[in-house]
Amino acid sequence: MTETPGIRIRPLDEMDISDIVVIDEKIGGKYRPEVWERRIGYYLRRDPESSVVAEVDGKVAGFMLGEVRSGEFGLEEPTGWIEVLGVDPDQQGKAIGRRLAEAILEHFRQRGAHSVRTLVDEEKQADIRRFFGALGFEPATLRPFVKAL
Amino acid sequence: MSVKTTTLPKKYHEAVLRWKDVFLPDYEFLIQNWDKHFPNDQTFELCAYREMGMCTEIECGDQKGKPKAQRASELPEEAAHHLFGAIRAQASTEFGSIQQHRLTLARAQEEEEQFWILRMMAEELRHGYQMLHLLAEDDWSSVSKESTSDVIDDILSMNTGSHVLGAFNIDFDSFVDNVVFCALIDRVGKYQLQMQKISSYQPMAESMPQMLREEAFHLAAGVVPMRRFVTAAAKGETFVTLDVLQKTLNKWIPRGLEMFGDERGGGTNVRLGLKPMKNSEAQQAYYKEVEKLVRDLNLRYLRARMPNLTHGESEAVLERILAGDTVEGVRRDDLLYMPHADFFRRRGVPAFRMVGSQGESFGSAQEYLQHLVRTLPESYRAGRDYKDFVDALLQIENGTLTLEQASGRMPALRRVAGACPCSKSVRWVVDEPAARVAEPVAAQPVA
Repeated sequence: MTETPGIRIRPLDEMDISDIVVIDEKIGGKYRPEVWERRIGYYLRRDPESSVVAEVDGKVAGFMLGEVRSGEFGLEEPTGWIEVLGVDPDQQGKAIGRRLAEAILEHFRQRGAHSVRTLVDEEKQADIRRFFGALGFEPATLRPFVKAL
Repeated sequence: MSVKTTTLPKKYHEAVLRWKDVFLPDYEFLIQNWDKHFPNDQTFELCAYREMGMCTEIECGDQKGKPKAQRASELPEEAAHHLFGAIRAQASTEFGSIQQHRLTLARAQEEEEQFWILRMMAEELRHGYQMLHLLAEDDWSSVSKESTSDVIDDILSMNTGSHVLGAFNIDFDSFVDNVVFCALIDRVGKYQLQMQKISSYQPMAESMPQMLREEAFHLAAGVVPMRRFVTAAAKGETFVTLDVLQKTLNKWIPRGLEMFGDERGGGTNVRLGLKPMKNSEAQQAYYKEVEKLVRDLNLRYLRARMPNLTHGESEAVLERILAGDTVEGVRRDDLLYMPHADFFRRRGVPAFRMVGSQGESFGSAQEYLQHLVRTLPESYRAGRDYKDFVDALLQIENGTLTLEQASGRMPALRRVAGACPCSKSVRWVVDEPAARVAEPVAAQPVA
């Protein structure tokens, strides 16, 4: 995929599991290998090119997982969904998230998507909201509704 | 990105379906349960996919920049000859791996992992179908000297033991083989498919992207269960121990390395624009990648065994253990290691050099065989493939066979009667040394 000095963006593969587990642990403080083994298996099964990782000097420094789906929530047209992202806290400030987003959006376009969506917790994820806002994402009328069980 | 979907002419399509009924009898069961295990995934379809819009100029070699060949007849004769052999070998491996996986599929302990392997088998069937599509859609008679019908018939009649590459002639002994094979042998396949993505033969290049997408999951179907095995072992479960896993790595890694072809070869493929890397370059990259896999598995084991460690601490503990320390009862011998690249080799530069799993040297065949008793799975050593290796090694030692002769002599099942997808039409054949090509073998593709 994209080659720029020091940063390389490429499709996700199964060898990234360990590195993503480490980044997730650095961000969230929890070691969750089972979660990522299952989740990465899912994305590799669906469309491995729809999820990307960033390497800095050959080491995984960030990831963005997503896919193109259609027919959900009344959205019949193919829609790109960005479902999870993470950048190694030690590597932030290098525009890695932007590079990941550019790569994944380009792939969504190639897969026929005309729009891309994601969900952000506006109260707890102000930085994520700013990140997507800077990429041109705007709040939409499609809102999640939640009921405790 | 657009993908063109096609099917084989009816007689070939039906031949593949008949092959499927014999060697992939669980196919219908997979389709019936597809939505349960792979909800919302596109349903499997037995067809050939060709990616449109790919590069149309030759990307490496002497003809770089010139238009890629759309037909075999547009290729230089040498390139057509190499490519025909590669397609035939690739088809053989795709069908061959299904024959191996089916032996032990039913022994999986987890339904999820069993369905991953079953899906992978169906996709390998499609990959074989894709290669038959390349053979059937073009005229290869000038290099094959056989009709398309005979070539396809030949491929579909191969069985475990008669396939083109050694790794596909070895029986699986347990579900651990299914899993490790996916992680190691399909990984070689990934390299070959990636290299063939730039093929100067456009239909070959266009066949690769969808195969690579599917291959990504095949690797995960190996690596994720391996990670689960080591986690369970660290927690004291006794189903798949690290000793069993290590011996299975020792069984398959040498065969994986040999699938890249002789370390001295591959230059012709680069010159002809068929692949961008020589055999040794691709082999070294593969070895490095598997080394990382082994390290990841060891870290996964340590963190399951010592849950209070952080990632940084587990890295430090691993280094201490590898340096010889014992940490919380874990010694170096308790962990997995990457076998030496020259270990248990029968092809290529290190063939029959009697190099140990950790690079040791041995003074006699008997000493080496005792080492193999300690390092290879017992069930594998009871099989034909291992016996052939031992016979060749002993003949080298007593001077009745040279290294070169032994490398070209490993017995194989060959079809000796009419085409029939059953073992009755094949029998063990040992080629005379002179019948084999003595020069380094070019890299061959794999599942």
